[in-house]
Amino acid sequence: MSSTREADRISSAQQTLDILHEISQLLNTQLDRETLTTCVRMIESGVNPEALAAVIQELRREGAKQAIAGSISRPGSR
Amino acid sequence: MASTPSSLEHLILNIVPSARDDLYLRDELVLHCKEILNSHIGENHDPDLGHLADLVKRQLLHSSPSGSAANLKFTNLLSRLLDQSVLSRKHAAVHFLYALASSQTPKPPSIMPTLLPSTMVPPPSQRRPPISSPTDTPLDTLPRGPSKAEILSEYRKKAGNPRLPEYLLLRDTLYLLQGISGKYVRFAQQDAEAAYRFIFVEDSRYSIPEPIKALIHRLSEVGYLYTRVDNFVRGREGAAAVGMIEQSLCHHLQTQLTEYYRLIAILESQMPPPPKDDLAALKQEETGLTLRRLDVWITDWRLRMRMMSVCVEGARDAHGGALVNLIHSYTDNGDPFVRKFTDQLLEEVSKPFFATLHKWLFSGDLYDPFNEFFVAGNPALAHLQYLHPSSIGGQLLDEGFGATDNEEGSTRRHSTLQLWQSKYLFRKDMLPMFVGEAFGRKIFSTGKSLNFIRYSCHDSDWVATREKMTDTGGTLKYSDINGLERSIDAAYQVASQRLFEVFIDKFKLLDHLIAIKNYLLLGHGDFVEQLMDALGPSLVRPANTLFRHNLTATLESAIRSSNAQYDSPDILRRLDARMLEYTHGEIGWDVFTLEYKVDPPIDTVIDPGCMIKYLKLFNHLWQMKRIESTLGQGWMRVVGDSRTFLKVPELEYQWHQIRLVNAEMIHFIRQMQAYCYLEVIECSWKVLMDFINKKEGDLDALIDAHRAYLDRMVKKVLLISPKAGREEVLLAQLRDLFSLILQFREASDNFYNFCLSESVRRDRELDAERGVYTGKESEADALPRSVIDPVREYGTTFFEKAQILVQHLQVHPDLDCRFLAVRLNFADFYRKKDKEK
Repeated sequence: MSSTREADRISSAQQTLDILHEISQLLNTQLDRETLTTCVRMIESGVNPEALAAVIQELRREGAKQAIAGSISRPGSR
Repeated sequence: MASTPSSLEHLILNIVPSARDDLYLRDELVLHCKEILNSHIGENHDPDLGHLADLVKRQLLHSSPSGSAANLKFTNLLSRLLDQSVLSRKHAAVHFLYALASSQTPKPPSIMPTLLPSTMVPPPSQRRPPISSPTDTPLDTLPRGPSKAEILSEYRKKAGNPRLPEYLLLRDTLYLLQGISGKYVRFAQQDAEAAYRFIFVEDSRYSIPEPIKALIHRLSEVGYLYTRVDNFVRGREGAAAVGMIEQSLCHHLQTQLTEYYRLIAILESQMPPPPKDDLAALKQEETGLTLRRLDVWITDWRLRMRMMSVCVEGARDAHGGALVNLIHSYTDNGDPFVRKFTDQLLEEVSKPFFATLHKWLFSGDLYDPFNEFFVAGNPALAHLQYLHPSSIGGQLLDEGFGATDNEEGSTRRHSTLQLWQSKYLFRKDMLPMFVGEAFGRKIFSTGKSLNFIRYSCHDSDWVATREKMTDTGGTLKYSDINGLERSIDAAYQVASQRLFEVFIDKFKLLDHLIAIKNYLLLGHGDFVEQLMDALGPSLVRPANTLFRHNLTATLESAIRSSNAQYDSPDILRRLDARMLEYTHGEIGWDVFTLEYKVDPPIDTVIDPGCMIKYLKLFNHLWQMKRIESTLGQGWMRVVGDSRTFLKVPELEYQWHQIRLVNAEMIHFIRQMQAYCYLEVIECSWKVLMDFINKKEGDLDALIDAHRAYLDRMVKKVLLISPKAGREEVLLAQLRDLFSLILQFREASDNFYNFCLSESVRRDRELDAERGVYTGKESEADALPRSVIDPVREYGTTFFEKAQILVQHLQVHPDLDCRFLAVRLNFADFYRKKDKEK
């Protein structure tokens, strides 16, 4: 019985995540499924959603910076 | 939060792939992210899913080309999400997505993507302003800087001085609403009511933003009003002798306050428990109470509390009916809410008033322990309410004896009219406006009549009457003013009619009035004649030689020898003869008077004041009667005796003169009498009878009608002129004429005696010539001037004075008096002489 309940829970969690993903796509947040899962988990644990969004932004900016730095340095090193 | 660091790292690795290799970069990013997460960014957003959904839809409409389709899809997804049970913070998740999405919007216009097409991340310069946009909603009235970022940095700057969390203020505000000082906001000077102010406790650790302060001020107005109302109710609870209307006001206020407590209790239960941290606070804000929600909830009560407070304020100096009046003045309000509230209040508050009204209107009892009704009992007469029935019977017996008893009786009789007129007082200021003064008067009169029937008339049919009336009554309410007016009208009519019946049928008011007219106003001619004949000889003697018992005996015999004996004994026993207060030198005629005694409750109509007027009239008419009978006797003498016995031919001319004057006087007195009886008394009587037969109006109207009847008689019989200061000029002239007539009569008697002795002397002379001795011979006297002069003099004086009187009467403002002048001045007798002069 516990296994079926577990399965139920997992499937419903899956469904929820699907829905959220769809919304995320609809809103054009450009989050992949894995990141979204992480974020939702964080929010569930009580993280301020707006702050989290700011974090995501910040990280993307950082990532872009790194990418540019990489693209500049890479040809140089090659 | 335990999982956060690892998730965060995961996130960082996911988004910034380069951090996988660069440990330093990774640590830096983790630190940075943690800082952001722990900041207060977005903590004040509105936790409303509906609002959020609206925002998202708006965003979708703006961003995507097929906005409406996307909208539909979003709605669908959202509802499906809400069905899921796994997530506990769906709202936060959606918010997160929305925040991310809205941060993307400025991407198309930005330049950076064109420069850097390889990256998906928006340029840093564009990043911060968009973040603030979700919280920058129109609903958000909290003060903040131009952008979220600035506030964020501000918060960072003064991390040691955060704002006071709202739930703390909320708790304080709920306390304030109950009139209790809170921890952060408290009442200043709680005992001095005039200076009710709030103090925000200054705390260096927290600051309270100005708009929140203003909001709390707004809310605490209700708390302040509540304190006032509550103080009033409590104060009245403890106080003794609180009026019934006030009690009922307190009761209504208490019910209202109970409702208010219920609301507060509900609001309190809605209040979130103190959250452990900011994030939890955000979670609770979704469902919990906020200051603004509290404001919305309280708005309705603010108005109500204001009304209640106004009533309370009014109740301080108004009282009873005036208080009802005060509340009634608020029903003319354009605001339906206020109107409804006041109507309700009035319905409740006027209940005791209507209870009192009912009791007063239908049973004539004033039950008003707190002096709130618009009818007030006169405390000075309160003890007279329960006259024992036997006292009436006893009183009549008492009055048979001596003057002292009599006086005592008159003071006691005085009380019935007093009882009627001033036992209850009409207090206009206490009359509720919705009743109206005319109706108030009617109510007053009705209750008074009932009370009178009940206590002063000892009406045994009382119960039946009351039953009849309560049938027409029903319940009286504020909301049914028309019904109230109907009931008042019905009760008024029944009560007035009943009182009329009681007076006329049971107490035989009419019989008494007729008796007074017959005896005091000399309506019974035969009786008056008998009385005059029997009393005449004794009345010419000085007043101090007369005794009351002789007078009463004579009165008795006069009654028995005239038609008066057939009157009912109840009326005859009230008739009494007595003497007025006399001074030295007055004779019986001046002081004799008849008296008619009335007892309660008839003396309400025929009060002692009226009795004095009746006596005045009697005095005048009696004097006229005396003159008439004197002249009658004189006429017999001058016409009959002078011809039969007196053989003095040379004095025939004098006798002729006397006869002329005598006839003139008789004409004068006859016209006077005819005027008094036919034109004044009978006419007034007819008016009075018309009124009584109509049986309209109440006892007051009856009293007034009787007064008018009496006043009219007094005015016309005594020829009172309306000119101030000269009222009794004509009466004085008339009295002058009366005394002239009496003097003339005396003088003519003297002349008669002289003639008689003269004729006896002549007879004796003739006898002596025949040789018969009948007495000593005496000298023939010439007619002495002292005998004949007064006769002539009185005759001319009478003529002159009558002329003056007639002239005065001709310009008298009263038409009847002018007509009297015409009667007296028959064939212009007086004027013609005037012209000859």
